[in-house]
Amino acid sequence: MDFLTALRISGAGLGVERTRVNLATSNLANAETTRTAEGGAYKRLDPVIQAVPFPAELGEAQSLGSPPMKAEIAAIVADQTPGRKVYSPGHPDADPEGFVVFPNVNPVHEVVNLMSASRSYEANATAIDTLKTMAQRGLDIAR
Amino acid sequence: MSIERTQMLSPPVGNIGTEHRAPTPTDEGKNVGPGSFAETLGNALQKVDGMQMDADAQAEKVALGGGNLHEMSLALEKADVSMRLAMKVRNKLIDAYQEIMRMNV
Amino acid sequence: MKIFDTTLTRLEEALDVRLVQHNVLAGNVANADTPGYRPKALDFSQAMAAAEQMFAGEGMASTSARHLGPAGEEPGAASSRASTAATQLIRETPGTSPSIDGNEVDLDRTMAGLAENSLQYGASARAAGKKLAILRYVVSDGGS
Repeated sequence: MDFLTALRISGAGLGVERTRVNLATSNLANAETTRTAEGGAYKRLDPVIQAVPFPAELGEAQSLGSPPMKAEIAAIVADQTPGRKVYSPGHPDADPEGFVVFPNVNPVHEVVNLMSASRSYEANATAIDTLKTMAQRGLDIAR
Repeated sequence: MSIERTQMLSPPVGNIGTEHRAPTPTDEGKNVGPGSFAETLGNALQKVDGMQMDADAQAEKVALGGGNLHEMSLALEKADVSMRLAMKVRNKLIDAYQEIMRMNV
Repeated sequence: MKIFDTTLTRLEEALDVRLVQHNVLAGNVANADTPGYRPKALDFSQAMAAAEQMFAGEGMASTSARHLGPAGEEPGAASSRASTAATQLIRETPGTSPSIDGNEVDLDRTMAGLAENSLQYGASARAAGKKLAILRYVVSDGGS
């Protein structure tokens, strides 16, 4: 368990949070997109985050404890919740009954996600900063 | 930090009686009686050498990208201190030898 | 030659365990948004006690390459034993802030833990460095 491991764990955390931010901003930007390449309205994207055990670098000793895990994005899935329908017969994307399907994006929800991801990103960055300080102190032992 | 440190600088007086001639630096490695000064010196020098190798191994580990920074620093510092001490002992021994050789017998 | 006493060994062990502790806490921070994740924790005093036991069980610490350990270990293995002992003591703990998605990491407490750990690491490193500096000073007859 050393500096490199800690750096990789925090680095992975940064990556996960950045992806969350990207997805939240993408959802917000497409909150009114009624037409997509795959047909139909934009569906909001959700990250699936999972914790993965770090590759065993200490040999069997690691299997006895409960090693620290890093986080990673397992997948990005589209939210299949049907979007809201608005009656608007003049709209170019209106269906035969005159309803337009708008994306299932709730801007408030996305902004909250954005803030949470931003906070976690900062926390990971602070963890790396802390590690840098510790490394400096460790090296200072040898003047 | 203990008294053993200063014991390094002056040979155990009692052991000199078990030998049949005055110890010289070149005696290192030769068997001059059990628990002799030469043996003590030899062991100590082996330990110093061991610490140097320890420091080398740690530095290599870090150079190759893995390794533990504070472990490396500590190993280097210990190697530094032990080598300085060994040098002091060596100088004192040579001084003592020269002193003895100067004696009119 | 017992120039390096037990205090220095304790400090070395402390440095190793603190580094493991950082890894544990960083892992919790990285997983602050993973659904269903249960935070991990390491009890510092427990880990230090275990490290001391491991050290005592081997008799003299073999920091020399010439003195092969029980399994013919390589140099520098003495202090990484503390690291191994600590790693074995990492446990999952019930979190203090359960949320809807099952994630139980308390980010604020974890960040505070990281700060404290870093401070203690720095203190132990400073102490070890100072001890060795004193030795160097003595050995060099007051030189540098």
